[in-house]
Amino acid sequence: MFDKVLIANRGEIALRVQRACKELGIATVAVHSTADADAMHVRLADESVCIGPPVAGQSYLNIPSLLAACEITGADAIHPGYGFLSENARFAEILEDHGITFIGPSAQHIRLMGDKIKAKETVGRLGIPVVPGSDGAVTSDAEAHKLAEGIGFPVLVKASAGGGGRGMKLARRAQDLPEALATARAEAKAAFGDDALYIEKYLATPRHIEVQVIGDGAGRAIHLGERDCSLQRRHQKVWEEAPSPALNEEQRGKLGNVVASAIGDLGYRGVGTIEFLYENGDFYFIEMNTRLQVEHPVTEMITGLDLVIEQIRIAAGGGLSFAQSDVTFAGHAIECRINAEDPQTFAPSPGKISYFHPPGGLGVRVDSGVYQGYTIPPYYDSLIGKLIVHGKNRNECLMRLKRALGEFVIDGIKTTIPLFSSLIAEQDIANGIYDIHWLENYLETS
Amino acid sequence: MSDEKASLEKDLIRDLAELLRETGLTEIEIERKGLRVRVARSAIAHPSALVPAAIEAHGAPVEANPTTSNGHGDPSDHPGVVPSPMVGTAYRAPEPGAPAFIEVGATVSEGQTLLIVEAMKTMNHIPAPRAGTVAQILVEDGQPVEYGEPLVIIE
Repeated sequence: MFDKVLIANRGEIALRVQRACKELGIATVAVHSTADADAMHVRLADESVCIGPPVAGQSYLNIPSLLAACEITGADAIHPGYGFLSENARFAEILEDHGITFIGPSAQHIRLMGDKIKAKETVGRLGIPVVPGSDGAVTSDAEAHKLAEGIGFPVLVKASAGGGGRGMKLARRAQDLPEALATARAEAKAAFGDDALYIEKYLATPRHIEVQVIGDGAGRAIHLGERDCSLQRRHQKVWEEAPSPALNEEQRGKLGNVVASAIGDLGYRGVGTIEFLYENGDFYFIEMNTRLQVEHPVTEMITGLDLVIEQIRIAAGGGLSFAQSDVTFAGHAIECRINAEDPQTFAPSPGKISYFHPPGGLGVRVDSGVYQGYTIPPYYDSLIGKLIVHGKNRNECLMRLKRALGEFVIDGIKTTIPLFSSLIAEQDIANGIYDIHWLENYLETS
Repeated sequence: MSDEKASLEKDLIRDLAELLRETGLTEIEIERKGLRVRVARSAIAHPSALVPAAIEAHGAPVEANPTTSNGHGDPSDHPGVVPSPMVGTAYRAPEPGAPAFIEVGATVSEGQTLLIVEAMKTMNHIPAPRAGTVAQILVEDGQPVEYGEPLVIIE
């Protein structure tokens, strides 16, 4: 087991890692920018090192500074949290070269899953269902038509050089395809200098369902159930729950086993999440995240497992401490991401928290590094905490969430707490009937 | 020193440290019964303090609670402070055994090397940002330093 872990992150996830390390008896080093000197995890850690000015590029993303911090503190491992350098293969390699353990998967797997086309090919070969589409670029309109007929309309014509929502044209029916191809080709050429196109099935009202996996790096992997993260605003998750209200036991088990088996075959080490779009009973792979995710607590609440402790154990060479048959799911969990933003305009609201009273009681968990008197710096993302509730079933969970939101006080800044109070009053939310467009439609109409 | 006396001193120091935390002061110095004790918030080593290793842990890389309250005399507030531009280990001389780059009272010109901060075997010369006189040297040879840590004061 490690003697000392350096936490290469900030905010609520740095505190999360600090807690896991403490429970394992590991000494902690909190690195921070000058703007984060007052952060809660910095105060709680055994040691702290200021690694740079507020700008992330010169602090949290500053690899030489992080390495120097390891050197002067004697840390033997780094936990990268999420975001920042957590999926930076080069960082993982550099740490390995310096004899410091990167708590996460191998650089090779980070790189593999970071390339979205290679990732899709790889998981497809491993038996995970992918979005049906052309294998690579379409070479002629005739080929495109044939493929589209095979996939089934509507289809999306996508620029190979596009991405991030750009360079996509929808063809609802066969007669729309020629124009979609021509326009997409012309626009791609103009915007990206590359007019190569590929085709994918278009999913109109999918849900975002992801599966949590954990692998020992030696061929064994276990799934820890799924999470439904369909409620998103501008592709950012806002509310997550486990299990998904849309799946039944059979679907859940089948999906989990397919994913666990594939990830085991890959020889993956550590935690990871495979994200799918789900529509009409079918799952379509979008991507794999080779790190801990923000919403991991909902999985922890229904399984009773501490994912960060498991990450650290595996990285220290301990392997998996349980089998798939040991994993049980109890009850339902919901997480609300609380941002320092105006609940209607979503404009950022940094500043000093004048009054802070988090909710408590059975089944209520608050993962947050803020406290009364803390000043939220303006340099980083606006997530200030997560409210997670657990109940014996989804209804109890919703009641508990309503109660907990009513107790939660954060004064001095604006937060998105009121948004969640509005959401739980909505019929669709109460029934668990929503897709990835629901939240934006709701925000537009209200 | 007898065990009883040693434990009384430990208690005294613990009480002083608690007082520091409660009041937000940056240092407290008391003298009684022939024992003078100074407890300070910053990582500066002070030769006259008769402090057992409990508070100023030798060899411990960086203090757990970097000071945020700028009490009177906080070096990072001094206009002539030269802060460390990086994380690493500070050295006073170009190599072990060689004379130090500067001593207190030395006159330095802009760009003159004050210290080396070493990280991962690379030696980084820390230049004087302006000409002046070295008023204080705030780090010891071989002391780990963090970004922004006050190294030297030039007046």
